[in-house]
Amino acid sequence: MKSCVMGIDFGSTTAKAVILDLGGRMLASQVAHMGAVSGEGVAAAIAGALDAAGLAQADIGRTVATGYGRRMLDIADRNYTEITCHARGAVAMVPQARVVIDIGGQDSKVIAVDAQGLVMQFTMNDRCAAGTGKFFEVLARAMEIELEDMGALALQAQQSLKISSMCATFAETEVISLLAEGRSKADILGGVHAAVATRTVGLVGRVGRKGPIVMTGGVARNPAAVHYIEKALGEALILPEAPQIAGALGAALIGLDDYRREHREELEGDDALEAQMALDKACVPGCRGVPELAPPPATAPRGNAAALWKRIQSHL
Amino acid sequence: MEQAAEIEEIIGSLARIAECPSDYAADWESRTGGKVVGILPMNFPAEIVHAAGALPVIVQEDDAAISYGRSLLHEFYCGYTRSLVDQAATGKLACYDGIFLVDHCVALLGAVDAIRFELPDTPVFLAQFTASMDETTTRPQIAGRIGELRQRLEELCGEPITDDAIHRSIAAYNRNRGLLRRVYEMRRAGRIALSGRQMQALVKSAMVMDVEEHSARMARLLSLLEAQPPAPSAKVKLHLSGHFCHAPRPELFDMIESCDVTVVDDDIYTGYRFISTDVPDHADPVEALTGWYFARNNNVPCSTRAQKTVDWESYLGQALENTGAQGVIVLVPKFCEPHMLYYPELRKEFHRRGIPHLLIETEHEGLALEMLKTRVEALVEVIRRPAVIREPA
Amino acid sequence: MSVTTESANHGPGAPRPAPRANRLVSTRAGGEMVRNYWDNLFTARERGATVVWYNGAAINPILQAAGVEWCHGEAFGARLAAMHLEEPAQQEGEAYGYINELCSYARTTLGCALLTRKEASRRVEVDQAPGVPDKEVLAARLPPPDLFVNAYAGCSTGQQWDEISYRLFDKQLPFFKVSYPLLWGNKPDAGYLRGEEWDNASKYVAGQLYNLIEFLEHQTGNKFDWEGLRESMHYIKRAAQLRLDALELCKARPTPAVFWDWVASIAPINFLPGNQALVDYFQGVKTEIEQRLEQGVSALPNERYRLAFDGIMNWNKVGWLANKFAEHDAAVVCGRYTHNSFWHEPQLIDEDDPILGMAQHYLLCPFNHSAQNLAEQVLGDCETYGIEGIVFHATRTCRSATNGQLVLAKMAQQRGLQTMFFEGDVADESFYKDEILQSRLEAMLETIDVQRTRLS
Repeated sequence: MKSCVMGIDFGSTTAKAVILDLGGRMLASQVAHMGAVSGEGVAAAIAGALDAAGLAQADIGRTVATGYGRRMLDIADRNYTEITCHARGAVAMVPQARVVIDIGGQDSKVIAVDAQGLVMQFTMNDRCAAGTGKFFEVLARAMEIELEDMGALALQAQQSLKISSMCATFAETEVISLLAEGRSKADILGGVHAAVATRTVGLVGRVGRKGPIVMTGGVARNPAAVHYIEKALGEALILPEAPQIAGALGAALIGLDDYRREHREELEGDDALEAQMALDKACVPGCRGVPELAPPPATAPRGNAAALWKRIQSHL
Repeated sequence: MEQAAEIEEIIGSLARIAECPSDYAADWESRTGGKVVGILPMNFPAEIVHAAGALPVIVQEDDAAISYGRSLLHEFYCGYTRSLVDQAATGKLACYDGIFLVDHCVALLGAVDAIRFELPDTPVFLAQFTASMDETTTRPQIAGRIGELRQRLEELCGEPITDDAIHRSIAAYNRNRGLLRRVYEMRRAGRIALSGRQMQALVKSAMVMDVEEHSARMARLLSLLEAQPPAPSAKVKLHLSGHFCHAPRPELFDMIESCDVTVVDDDIYTGYRFISTDVPDHADPVEALTGWYFARNNNVPCSTRAQKTVDWESYLGQALENTGAQGVIVLVPKFCEPHMLYYPELRKEFHRRGIPHLLIETEHEGLALEMLKTRVEALVEVIRRPAVIREPA
Repeated sequence: MSVTTESANHGPGAPRPAPRANRLVSTRAGGEMVRNYWDNLFTARERGATVVWYNGAAINPILQAAGVEWCHGEAFGARLAAMHLEEPAQQEGEAYGYINELCSYARTTLGCALLTRKEASRRVEVDQAPGVPDKEVLAARLPPPDLFVNAYAGCSTGQQWDEISYRLFDKQLPFFKVSYPLLWGNKPDAGYLRGEEWDNASKYVAGQLYNLIEFLEHQTGNKFDWEGLRESMHYIKRAAQLRLDALELCKARPTPAVFWDWVASIAPINFLPGNQALVDYFQGVKTEIEQRLEQGVSALPNERYRLAFDGIMNWNKVGWLANKFAEHDAAVVCGRYTHNSFWHEPQLIDEDDPILGMAQHYLLCPFNHSAQNLAEQVLGDCETYGIEGIVFHATRTCRSATNGQLVLAKMAQQRGLQTMFFEGDVADESFYKDEILQSRLEAMLETIDVQRTRLS
């Protein structure tokens, strides 16, 4: 039996990896930025997490992948959608959360979850960039500012401009004409963030406000986005310390459930572990909240961290 | 020929006809010398065209990108109506000797008006059926409209349409619907493993082919299917709902089924909705066809009709109980207003009954299949988990 | 994307203030009448009145004679949008599951219905909802209905929408629907106000109106006040004639009033009670226009172009659009929504026996025509008012208003008229794109200039 499990979130602009021990403690997490879906980025995230935990690939008993690139990772034993994984990870980080807002690079989603981190209902933006990280990216470019500076600048808005169209293309031309009109970047950005917030609140409405709302995903690190969404919702969002790794953590937890169930008999003697698992309600072996897993495929051979990049690259 | 191969062969040939109805229509016309009448969804009584000796063909959405049609209909119309207009503007409706319709859908009427402008020499006839089923004035109005339809078709085809001919046509269509329903029953019972793509080909071809010819092929197909061993599926069982008036793209079915899903039932137009109801017996064939209009909406309620006494969502709940489907994928053609109006009612019912569901908006321009696949997989993950107490959303 | 702030019309350093529309003053009285009407309606329940929610045609004279109070859903949706107070209702609708491509009138008023239900069950905590309390209060103030009547011509969505209203109130309330055939023109004799089809449709709708009256009598227990109906139709007919006379005065160059002034007069003619006050209102409008003509006062400081507006109103943008066109010296003189609608054929009304004429007006909804019929009316008006170009409002969520527009534009072009389209919506401003209107309008006006040069 191995000592750890790993979750990998192979997203559109970043890759995240999380390693847990069998008691559900997080040993390491890693976020790697990359361009488009890139094998290099995901290899860096995995290798970084393994290094940080002082582990080799061979120590990992189960690997679960999520995110847009999830099916490209042959080192993963299973893959789950980011909806299932984000829900699970967010509730693990914030147990009282019943609604998860996740705004990532390519999509935004709102998920209603139960106490075990299981998806009750979810909704996502339509296919265009409206209200996603991409929308912010396009506008940052149009305004010639760094994406990272956007939030801080938007919080300095003095006047509230109402921006109602959410089409990134139209927004871009409009932003340019507003700049030409002499509007301040801060005011324009305030309007942009308020518009994204309105859109997000619409999605929250669709799944219903079931309880405390947690926000995950890269955009959760943008203070203006958080501020405007809170304003539009009329309630505070709960922000986990590392909002970006929710998906990878959820994937790891699903892997953990799976691995523990498989090794249930070997684990029975370990009192400390059993106590820990009893505390960790969502992770009790045989927990009825765990997605039922399909029969596992033949175990994939596992290499070590150094060889990862080549392997991944060959599958992209 | 081996049975499985013959099944494939029959379905394949029907799929090819459904794919290109105008080729079939041209061939039929040259064989018979009869008129080909393009008819439009959703409640058109094809029997009356058949009784006139003409071939009724339900005009389908075309895969082609919208080109000249753009100058006739705004882009915020549903894909079906935009495609119809584009087909008119690109000469693809030339195979029809007339275009006939009965249904009141604001987008459809706008599209047909544009077609009429584009094709001034093609007879276009609207016998508008009142959509409110509740008022006492509706039934005589529908009968009157069918009478007008009959008269106009007599003019077009140059022959009187006798009551006997309508009765015979009714019998032929009832038989055809019965054959198709039998395939549906077998699918619900897990007796056959036809894909969504194949099921659609069966119904779509019925919409465009000569009814007797279609029935002959269906009868042969059924005898082959019935001889097959049962094909129970361990996959997640889903019901497909929506698309009141045209066919979802077959690649959508393929994608859904690739997510470890079996579609056990549907209520889409190019599916069970189309074949649900036979024309009832009545000495007066016009009365019989009028009765069919009302009976159809009682059997499989459509939110394009206005009827206080039936509900789509209750129908769906019942359908799921009957088939054991574990969830529903709701297919909304983008810009379809009756569907957008009723979606929250469906959603409420699904929550009440604890039925997981997914909404997919479809578009003429095609679908972001990879993105949608993630959503379908998430739905499957939700269904796959063991039952937990679900709070109603 | 649109920007709404006080100074958004012109950027800093603009050389001169842009010309603005010189709006009629008399229409303000209509605003007051309409506000009083709604304020009164909001207290219907407290006064023990029976309330009908209805959509579509102006059946209010029938409702009045049936002794009930009437609430026109679309009118309230339009009012919220015009006051920029539509958002709480639309958010409520979105949370309930409506997709934003759905008719924004329907989304808004169904949102109001949801809020009304909450309010009725004392579940709406408006004071605790930060940011929007005042707004939500207005959207939630409709009195709950006792019955529903749907009377929507042309638009299938309009009819389906009330099927949902009925369901939102648990399918418990009486509900009557009037159905209208589209004036389609299957036969060669068909046309505007003529042909067998017109006669048959008129009779079919009139028959349904008699049934509606029976339904109302049955549901309310009130005897229908036929004399009251005749009286209100007498006033409505007079008011309608005054409105038409006033419209006719705008053939003058420069025009004394523009489309946006007529938009301001829609609510009174569409759902206020037929009485002397209504007649006085339109007499006032007509008098102001006559005075303007005498004194040489025009609607625009510099009328240079004469345009028509086709499509339903963009209620969020009435004032904005009025100034936008004025800035370009473009007088929007007539429009389908104002000129081919709202009791605009008063000669059809027989004051002693008004039902048939009423049915005919309901059929004459400007969105219940074939493109051929539309061309007859709209292009006729273009000739009457000396129009050079038509501005089409491609109303994103209103298929009923946009049906036939592109065909109509082609027909207009064949007659040498310029045409342009801009996107917007009845009650959802997110579909309005200012830069599209701006650039297309300028392009069209430039083309008209070029055309004039060639002709001169």
